Amino acid sequence: MHKYISENNLKALLDHLIADGKRVIAPRMDAGTPLYGPLADSAGIVLDQLPRRSAKETFFPVCEDIMSYDKEGQQVTLRDVSPANFPETILVGVRPCDAAAIPVLDAVFSWDYKDEFFLERRRKTTIVGLACTQADDACFCTAVGLSPADPKGSDLFLTPVEGGGYACETFTDKGEALVNNHGELFAEPNGTPALPLAEPQTEKFDLKKVKAWLDDHFEDPAWDSIAVRCVGCGACAFLCPACHCFDIVDEGTEKAGKRRKSWDACGFWKFTHHASGHNPRDLQPKRYRNRIMHKFKYYDDKFGQTLCTGCGRCIRFCPVGIDIAAIVNEISKK
Amino acid sequence: MTNSIDTSIYTAITEAIQDEARRILSERSVIAVVGYTAARRKGSAQPVVITQADDAGKLIFSAACVNNLAVYLTKAKKEIPKGGKIGIVVKGCDLKALVGLLGESQLKREELYLIGVPCAGVLASTAQPARELTGDTIAPKCRECDNHLPQGCDFVPDQRPVTLELAGKYSAEIARLEAMTPAERWAYWKEQFKKCIKCYACRQVCPFCFCEQCLCDRNKPQMVETTPRPAGNTAWHIVRAMHLAGRCAGCAECERVCPMDIPLNLLNRKMAKELKELYDYEAGFEVREKGPLAMYDEKDDQSFIK
Repeated sequence: MHKYISENNLKALLDHLIADGKRVIAPRMDAGTPLYGPLADSAGIVLDQLPRRSAKETFFPVCEDIMSYDKEGQQVTLRDVSPANFPETILVGVRPCDAAAIPVLDAVFSWDYKDEFFLERRRKTTIVGLACTQADDACFCTAVGLSPADPKGSDLFLTPVEGGGYACETFTDKGEALVNNHGELFAEPNGTPALPLAEPQTEKFDLKKVKAWLDDHFEDPAWDSIAVRCVGCGACAFLCPACHCFDIVDEGTEKAGKRRKSWDACGFWKFTHHASGHNPRDLQPKRYRNRIMHKFKYYDDKFGQTLCTGCGRCIRFCPVGIDIAAIVNEISKK
Repeated sequence: MTNSIDTSIYTAITEAIQDEARRILSERSVIAVVGYTAARRKGSAQPVVITQADDAGKLIFSAACVNNLAVYLTKAKKEIPKGGKIGIVVKGCDLKALVGLLGESQLKREELYLIGVPCAGVLASTAQPARELTGDTIAPKCRECDNHLPQGCDFVPDQRPVTLELAGKYSAEIARLEAMTPAERWAYWKEQFKKCIKCYACRQVCPFCFCEQCLCDRNKPQMVETTPRPAGNTAWHIVRAMHLAGRCAGCAECERVCPMDIPLNLLNRKMAKELKELYDYEAGFEVREKGPLAMYDEKDDQSFIK
């Protein structure tokens, strides 16, 4: 279904949804930083910059309670958190690199174990994607086979058009339902051309060649030169739309506490630190190698997909300037 | 732009660093040089370790050379070759951290070859490294820098940076926070800390966070909640600020790398201000075995004992 919506009507749509008790998540400023979060009203939406963290946290929060306990004498009471209580959500203003990562994550969260925390949020969320008209030299969605107007992962996709407003295209029943339920805010497409799309300048990777090299080079001196400067923080993994490792810890007192699931990162020394004291990834290049292997080999081996959508966040915010686009490009030329 | 900052000397500094690195590596007076090199993105720079004189031409200095390379010399970075003299490119702010590490017996002066950089300033953020260095894009620490020409190095290119008089942002921000009521101040930090995702970039770039087992990573017993939630986030940043009091000399790397824009150096500058007022002590100027918080003196302020 093709439609048109003006900027004012898009805001009116968000306000209607909020008034209906729906949770609307969109990019907005949070203590000075652009982040996805629930809108109180449409005035707070910020659509001119990529949020610092990706949209994955809508489905896979930074930290969430998955169980709680109380202990009274010998009596222990366990309480589950019920995903059935998760709110119906509209996720708006999602850039193609963020939206495309969501189906990539579906694969791992619905594989042998069905993660109901992730999957229930997925079922209850409608994703409104937004095409990009600007890119910087850290953007590389085109290098991994996506594009600034790729609707992958979006239920409804918006493309800014000349003179303001957006061309809308629906891709799923959820997207159609959103349009049909608020039909008065959408108009028939009037043929106005789309604004020129962003043009990321990064060379396209030959992902097959990259994988072929990774298949044979678990041990290679290149890992040292690539990652000797990696300081071992989790900024790349935590800003990444596709990284999905998590840790589970119990926090509380003897009397009461919670079991919590929170983001983890393979860059951390502690990530593979065994109880024996042994660490199979004892030095940072081995940890960084895992990052590249997981994204361009292991995930492909298992799910036939690349675990990278080219958003460029890890490049912009790596404390020591590690540039995954440059690294993968170099590998594809080996 | 009227407030653009003159970085023209960085070309000559780059050449001088390359020549010196080539000399010391070819004479084998050092086993490696830790410096900066250009990267793919326009204007970008990244840390590099070179061990061959032929690679000296890769070294650069520019306004994007933001990192405090001292972090690579600590025992936390096992990847960097140890067991020989190492050359390192240092700005004045980086040098203060090295001075602290010498005082804490983490490094030996005779195992270092210090290449000091006459520095006019670096960028606050390298998310967009091609930005011109101006009064708006310069790192806040550079606005209050008292060490544009590092002292006591083995080699410093013969250049003099032109520095502008810029109003101090930290001093102004600390004054603003000090003027708040405790409730207002608490509300301010709560907003900031709630963004923290426990990526530990602040810890990993800090030259003084060289503990091989961080207290905040322990789970038996758990000292600080490890999950990224308000309580554990607040505890983490306060623990860190206290551990750095009297040690942190203000390279502000923690603040630069925080992907959530938490103004972490404000905590460290506030602690430094307290140390200055209470003990007339400033970290990073002379090699001292113990800072004021690690020793007792009869003349110490005791007004806190009520």
